[in-house]
Amino acid sequence: MDAEMEDAGAQAEIERGGGGGGADAVLGLAGGGAPVSLCYHQAFGPHDDLVLLEAADDLLPDLLQGRVTVRGRPEEEAVLCTPSATYSMKFVGTSNSMFLIPPGEPSAKCLRPDSTNGDANAVAATIKLAPGSIELVRTAPRLDKLRSLLRERPYILDEVLGNDFQHMKGLYTWQDLCKLIQASDGELLDGLNTLSAVEIDGFWRTVDANSVNTILDMILHNSVLHDWPLNAMPENDVLSVMESDGFTHKIVTHCLNRFGTKVEQESRSFWNLDEKRVCLQFAQRALGAGKMKLANFMDKWERSIPSGMRADLQMLEGEVLCEKLGAETWVHAFSVADLPLTPADRFAALFREQPKWEWKDLQPYIRDLRLPGVSSEGLLIKYTRRTQPSAEAEPIFTAR
Amino acid sequence: MQIQVQCGCGEPSCPEWAVVELQGVAGYTFTVGYHELAGTKVTLKNPLLVLRKTKTNAGCGEQEPPEVELEVIGIIRHKILFKDRPKALISKPPTKEKKTLQPAAK
Repeated sequence: MDAEMEDAGAQAEIERGGGGGGADAVLGLAGGGAPVSLCYHQAFGPHDDLVLLEAADDLLPDLLQGRVTVRGRPEEEAVLCTPSATYSMKFVGTSNSMFLIPPGEPSAKCLRPDSTNGDANAVAATIKLAPGSIELVRTAPRLDKLRSLLRERPYILDEVLGNDFQHMKGLYTWQDLCKLIQASDGELLDGLNTLSAVEIDGFWRTVDANSVNTILDMILHNSVLHDWPLNAMPENDVLSVMESDGFTHKIVTHCLNRFGTKVEQESRSFWNLDEKRVCLQFAQRALGAGKMKLANFMDKWERSIPSGMRADLQMLEGEVLCEKLGAETWVHAFSVADLPLTPADRFAALFREQPKWEWKDLQPYIRDLRLPGVSSEGLLIKYTRRTQPSAEAEPIFTAR
Repeated sequence: MQIQVQCGCGEPSCPEWAVVELQGVAGYTFTVGYHELAGTKVTLKNPLLVLRKTKTNAGCGEQEPPEVELEVIGIIRHKILFKDRPKALISKPPTKEKKTLQPAAK
């Protein structure tokens, strides 16, 4: 019978602390009407399963329509994620006594110290004394872990993945990443794009550098063979030729996207290779892991790039560092993409690499840093010490 | 792990809870007795959501951590805040606690 079931449900809800409090009567108090008695609900208790979450009005739609998740491992500090933003969750206690009064018709049973049955006016009941509430503070997504996870098992051309559990190690699906990475879906996707990750067979992978070079070389080699202009390579032709050379559409498209931009013209797709991105790849290949004399490096680099492209040291800011050793200038790889994302760790890594920085060298290594509510000047003030030997000299930044 | 925050009520009809807040630790019963408290209804700067946390043991194995669910069961937009010390309506006979009795008239 519906009425009975409804009552049973309402009764269950009251016992769980979610109803039977008469909140409306309390909320209507300011109207200057009859006084309201407030007593302890029959089910008054700690109710540790009830928590209060402070939510700004702009977060309410996401919260009330099921678009919010709490993410993190049990040992991490929890974060709350809307589709596009990440918030840290901090419990803030109160020394006040905050009595919670649930909605619903006031249930007749109130506790009184003299255990009489409640007076005729008893209309509101408190279910719990709240110790405080959880505050949300917008925070940068925690993406450092994403990079280390995806570097466990980069995709290598012609790799063979086994089927058993051992061979699944280091492979992460989108759902796995949502559970492990403390970031909103939107920020997670941005993070994956920043890493040039690609989803292959359901797993998000970074592509091993040698494999990238092989594919790029092949694309360039074919462009010469088939007369494709590097600023207008016909997509269908590129894909079919590369496929016959043994490269899947997916991985070729990924590389085209990594080194170029797509242009639609007369309902055909063309790819325009970006000089800076292509030359950077060749620079990294020329430089390798060690140091080179600048002149030698420039020579090797210029001879390796596709004809028609121009090598310029400016393209490598944030990717290589030059230093003067004696009379010679040496250069080595130092890529911002390998550095930590959190400002404190980033500055620590930069000052470990070299203790003093001029602004023009430092800027490319910190311009990607984001801390909600803090400007880049703010970051400099917080993490560096600025000295200027004389009015005409360049300012120098050192660790604070 | 990932915990979806659910809300069965939907945005417009989220049940509204009330809060009565006393500054300090409450040592008094609420029904009108010997003391009168003056409070004001305050609109919260940011609403508070009442969430219920439930742990369900998926029962699929000891290795799996218990699943946690979070459900929004109510919203708090206002509270009745009592900041001032309670005033005695009538003068009480001396009690064991040392308390200063406030005069009834303001």
